[in-house]
Amino acid sequence: MASKSLKNLTAPLSGNNPVIVQILGICSALAVTVQLKPAIVMGLSVMVVTAFANLVMSMLRKGVPSRIRIIVQLVVIATLVILVDQVLKAFVYDVSKQLSVYVGLIITNCIVMGRVEAFALQNKPWDSFLDGIGNGAGYGLILVIVAFFRELLGSGSLFGYPVFEKIGLYELGYSNCGLMLFPPMALILVGCIIWIHRTINTNLQEK
Amino acid sequence: MKVNTNSNVYIIIYSVVMVVIVAVLLSLAALGLKPYQDENILNEKKIQIVKALGYDAATTQYKDVVAEAVILNAEGAAVENDEQKVFDALKDVKGSREAGSFPIFKAKDGSVVVPLYGAGLWGPIWGYIALNSDMNTVKGIVLDHSGETPGLGAEITTAKHQAMYVGKTIFEGEEFVGITLKKGGADKDNLHEVDAISGGTKTSDGVSNMIKDCLVSYKPYFAAAKATVVAEPKAEEAIEAEATEQKSNDKNIENNGK
Repeated sequence: MASKSLKNLTAPLSGNNPVIVQILGICSALAVTVQLKPAIVMGLSVMVVTAFANLVMSMLRKGVPSRIRIIVQLVVIATLVILVDQVLKAFVYDVSKQLSVYVGLIITNCIVMGRVEAFALQNKPWDSFLDGIGNGAGYGLILVIVAFFRELLGSGSLFGYPVFEKIGLYELGYSNCGLMLFPPMALILVGCIIWIHRTINTNLQEK
Repeated sequence: MKVNTNSNVYIIIYSVVMVVIVAVLLSLAALGLKPYQDENILNEKKIQIVKALGYDAATTQYKDVVAEAVILNAEGAAVENDEQKVFDALKDVKGSREAGSFPIFKAKDGSVVVPLYGAGLWGPIWGYIALNSDMNTVKGIVLDHSGETPGLGAEITTAKHQAMYVGKTIFEGEEFVGITLKKGGADKDNLHEVDAISGGTKTSDGVSNMIKDCLVSYKPYFAAAKATVVAEPKAEEAIEAEATEQKSNDKNIENNGK
């Protein structure tokens, strides 16, 4: 794999992360991160959609009439999202119920359309596909980090396994932080991640 | 040949072809996945019935606890006992009710499960209520909703809320009263009240109405079922009735005092 292609894959993970650098897709990041399992499923769903939307649009890019290109993009993205939603309903019904409307709302996730418009229409299919995987993974990564802290501190469990109960933390007088279960806490956590991230990557700091 | 991708003809043909391809693709996916999705929905219903009966759904199977699923007519007589048809009726509880058919599940221990369907604040609410073999005492309840406010109306799905219904009764003597979610907290001695949800008054009212509307149609069946099992637990019931009578007398005295 050429290093340029590889960069398409790795840049969105940190330096050009869609959530914490471009601040896109925040709404769903707040909504589905109460527990790890839905967060991971949501991350994977977005990854599949960004990857294949990029791939399809990149393959079509020479034939798409530029006057209706946004409509074409929306149709492609919406089709993929409906497919993902149907598959989730068929095979991971409980998670699909937890995610409820947020799977459908991937259609309006700025990351997906942003990458199609900004990258896939100018680049070759393979590069676009990697870019899509990278951006989906970058989004999923933040979701998983946020969900890890929210589930651990809010419910005292990980993947539904009662960690704190098993190590006997409750007997020492600890109690779960209910605030962690509410969306504002996800926003604060994302803020903390951005803070740490920019402390390390000083080139991202605004002067 | 160079195609002008911005000509009107090209755009129209492009859109039509795109829409047809997408439509075919989505129809195929929907048809192909339907059996799996239906099975999931059916499983969820069975799990909720098992939970309403008070069993742990992780260890207890539907077929181990439920003896029979039947549809009753307005007179309380069984008209259909094909399980598939009963579950089909559950897809539209309200529609079946209006059409005069009432699904019910009979558990092996003599208790019954009745499906509930009603209106919450933002959308439909539904659930299952299990009654003991006396057709009066609540054995358990499961409530679900599609769009109630998290933290307020959506609290009806919590185990803490649903536990309050256990042991409550739906009949006062011979009269059907249902169970009311009382705003400001239920009277501890009142067997027909549970606490409403703070900030979820409309949803709580919805649950009260749902329980009344759904169970009232089953009255003929309850009466018949009670008549057949009444022989044994009669003594116990009589004592209970006496106790409630005593209570209501006490209340009357209290009220008069005020």
